[in-house]
Amino acid sequence: MNMNLFLKEIRKNAISLILWMAVVILLISVTMSMYRTFVNNQSQVLGMMNLLPKGALQFKGISNFDDLFSVMGFYAVNNVIYMMLLGSIYAMVLSSNILLKEEYNKTADFLLSWPLTRSEIFLSKLALVFLNVLLLNIVAAAVGFVSILIVKTGPFSLKPFFILSLYTFLLNLLFGAIGLFISTIVKKPKPVTTLSIGLVLIFYFIYTISKITESAAQIGYLSPFKYTNMDAMKPGYGLEMWRVIFFAGVSLVLFTLSYRTYRRKDIYL
Amino acid sequence: MSDTVIDITNLSKSYGRNIGIEDVSFDIKEGEVFGFIGPNGAGKSTTIRILLNLIFPSGGSARIMGMDVISETKKIKQQIGYIPSDANAYSSMTVLEFLIYCGRFYGIKAGNGRMDELSELFELDLKRKLSELSMGNRKKVAIVQSLLHSPRLLIMDEPTTGLDPLIQSRLFDLLRTENKKGMTIFFSSHILSEIQLMCKRVAIIKQGRIIKLEDIEALRSKQLKRICIWPGEQEIAEKFTISGIEGPVSRTNDTVTFMYSGDINDLVRLLAAQKIANLTVEEPSLEEIFMHYYK
Repeated sequence: MNMNLFLKEIRKNAISLILWMAVVILLISVTMSMYRTFVNNQSQVLGMMNLLPKGALQFKGISNFDDLFSVMGFYAVNNVIYMMLLGSIYAMVLSSNILLKEEYNKTADFLLSWPLTRSEIFLSKLALVFLNVLLLNIVAAAVGFVSILIVKTGPFSLKPFFILSLYTFLLNLLFGAIGLFISTIVKKPKPVTTLSIGLVLIFYFIYTISKITESAAQIGYLSPFKYTNMDAMKPGYGLEMWRVIFFAGVSLVLFTLSYRTYRRKDIYL
Repeated sequence: MSDTVIDITNLSKSYGRNIGIEDVSFDIKEGEVFGFIGPNGAGKSTTIRILLNLIFPSGGSARIMGMDVISETKKIKQQIGYIPSDANAYSSMTVLEFLIYCGRFYGIKAGNGRMDELSELFELDLKRKLSELSMGNRKKVAIVQSLLHSPRLLIMDEPTTGLDPLIQSRLFDLLRTENKKGMTIFFSSHILSEIQLMCKRVAIIKQGRIIKLEDIEALRSKQLKRICIWPGEQEIAEKFTISGIEGPVSRTNDTVTFMYSGDINDLVRLLAAQKIANLTVEEPSLEEIFMHYYK
């Protein structure tokens, strides 16, 4: 890794990271600020819930209405989805462009004329993706945690909170790995932002369909979202190591493939 | 330390069925100013991109200062400077930030005297953002960054594009000074006049192949003549042929024109046996010699 390149990437991506953080902070805090109103109006809320189709409730991970009125259940149902989706889009857009932008902005001509190896370039950019995805997740988790402390009406367990946060981070990181891999295999140097966002949404759509349609449950396994477990209020909810290994393993494989491809890639401008 | 700074042997690069370069071989000695000339798309940039490890060759090898351009690229790049043809730098940076950033890769600290000296010579506005600069000013920034670390080898790809004549002249003066101090220069261009001005030796590349590798002076002194004959009779015009004709013979209704490098006596003897209306024998310009090879 090259510190000069890494620090430059931090500076270059700081504003976009701050903006994404601001959006996440706003969404989580606004949603969590509604918790007490929600709890204080349980009967009206339940009335509304009964009008909703079963599929919509299943999709939101609501199996028991009582769960929804606990602070952790409310957090899991409403906020985690922001970070699952938004965090993944952020990770994918960032990683799919971090190497490729040097090509379509035609700055690779400079970058590759300086005393750097391809490995140093790759690892510096990868470190930036890892750092920024981690920071966004830390901020989201911190805001979520503080919001829970502020609005809670009774005791809550920290364990599901940490597990949810870990799954979300791993999911985001996997999308970061997918984005980086795509950027190393595309031949034409042009932005892949639309493709990146589209892919996250398609995977999310597949996951949604699999959740609300029993006959399509199996196709959910095509989507990384399926490998998380957000049912934080289910009895016995805990950290499942196979999920951690799955996310870490697939990410590692994709990072390795990207690294090997980039080291031998022809850079066209 | 090797006396040969660049050593290219049978270098090839193909893009599927298309050939970028094929069987390119030449070497450049320490302290030489070497011209690499060819029309756009001839393979100049492809060759440079292989030297810089931007792309990988399909065959052959390239070494710089005795080191392999693929496996030892970092060591090589510590000793080379590069001026790209499209000087697209990082648009969010100011000129000063960019130069400091470049310098750090070579261990050069901000406030380095060389940076100030070069920035002054090329009249850089260090506070301007790179995105606000014209093509010419971006090129000046690229020139300064390439020379910050006083490289042993400077590779230039169309370095004068966008530069005004005054700055071009300053660049050439600076290159001469640096060359006298020992810097080797690899100068790629499609503009003959600047190659002629700066280089001692030149490689001409056409459709991916080196078609001539020679001293500029040797090229100039080639016994190449432009012969123009007014045959007078159509029959002579159609049948006229002699060994020593270089390249195509151009025939119009009145004239037969060609480049001739054979024995002039053979030509005179042949013409003496014909009935011709007129004849001119001219010394071609260097430009024409190059164009002759391009055709």
